[in-house]
Amino acid sequence: MSYDKDYDIIHEGLSQHVQLETSGDQEALRSLAKRFSVRTFKEGDSLWDLSTNSGQLHFILSGAFAEYLMDGRVSHLLRFYSKNGFAYSEDLILYSARPASYATCLVEARVASIPAGALAEYLMNEELGGKLLTSLIELSMTEYRNTTYEMLQTNGINRIHAAIQQFPDVLDLIPRKELADYLGISRASLFRSLKQIANG
Amino acid sequence: MAKSLEQLVYDFFRGLPAYTTDMEDAVKAIIENFDQPLIKKKGAILTELAPPNKDFWFLCDGFLKEIYKNPFMNEDALFNFIPPASIFVNEDSLFYNKRPQHYYKAYTDVTIASLSNEKFQELKNKYPAIIKLYLSGTAEIQKNRRSRLLMLRMSNTQDKIDWVRDQRGDLYKIMDRVTLAQYIGVSRASLYRAFDKKGKSQF
Repeated sequence: MSYDKDYDIIHEGLSQHVQLETSGDQEALRSLAKRFSVRTFKEGDSLWDLSTNSGQLHFILSGAFAEYLMDGRVSHLLRFYSKNGFAYSEDLILYSARPASYATCLVEARVASIPAGALAEYLMNEELGGKLLTSLIELSMTEYRNTTYEMLQTNGINRIHAAIQQFPDVLDLIPRKELADYLGISRASLFRSLKQIANG
Repeated sequence: MAKSLEQLVYDFFRGLPAYTTDMEDAVKAIIENFDQPLIKKKGAILTELAPPNKDFWFLCDGFLKEIYKNPFMNEDALFNFIPPASIFVNEDSLFYNKRPQHYYKAYTDVTIASLSNEKFQELKNKYPAIIKLYLSGTAEIQKNRRSRLLMLRMSNTQDKIDWVRDQRGDLYKIMDRVTLAQYIGVSRASLYRAFDKKGKSQF
């Protein structure tokens, strides 16, 4: 895929979250899209980890990642990131704190990223920056809300249906072990539920 | 004596991590622009938040249930339980200009007050600090959601109950068992079994 096409996709992704009012806004967003750099991640590679001290805003062009949140010494699968979605450590980008979570590649991925410094410069100096920051927080709140719907379902089948509603390709992208952890059910229960769904 | 709306809103903003003393004028302006509080009886649905309301609401007193239509259960279900001194909004309307999927119901008698979106926009232009307060308030809600999500992912019902008791004692003390079961995402039967197993009551 050409880089120009990547930047178009990043620009489109950004424009879905920022209200553009003038052609100047369009141009400002396009120049931001061009400041992202693209790299490839293999399964198991880290998008960020607990010792990362400089955050980045990532846009997933392909593949999938899982974010794990540390609770004491135990890590819990918090959420997934897949194609055409943004991913970032809230602690690093929003709170200037050490990351309490880490994100790992589950399926080989191509990711466009912009360093927090370049992003901060944009957020502070460009008129659209404030809107983008607000949008990123609201986007994250909405993701948590959607994920909470899944976990409020009291049985495995409904949790799987709710997860599919949020991520239509979740069953193709996410290994079963991670999916069971994510849904808070045992692997046996996941397989039973998937079988029941397959049998209608 | 119960605190006034002014004092409650002031305490709320002063409690935000982003608050600094130079924001005091902005906070005073917000307080002055709140409408008069309304009282709603236990069980009432807050029709004031019907679409397309995009105002910012402050729960001065009492507890609210935030309810959504669960498409997998064909019934309305609890999404969140809101304690006093909280801000609540129609997220779908405010963020995405969509018809809200949630509504609010008074769990106890409640007192609520609103700051209209129009006034918020005016104040935001006049006091740039308001955007920092908005982001800080939103970030706090986000942190609470992240924290609750960890509890919801716990596979053991007793661990979930313990989490609510330890982390959200303010809610645990007031929720009935049906509400508690919905809040932690388990069936009523599972919740009752967990209490029976420990031989303990909720309160």
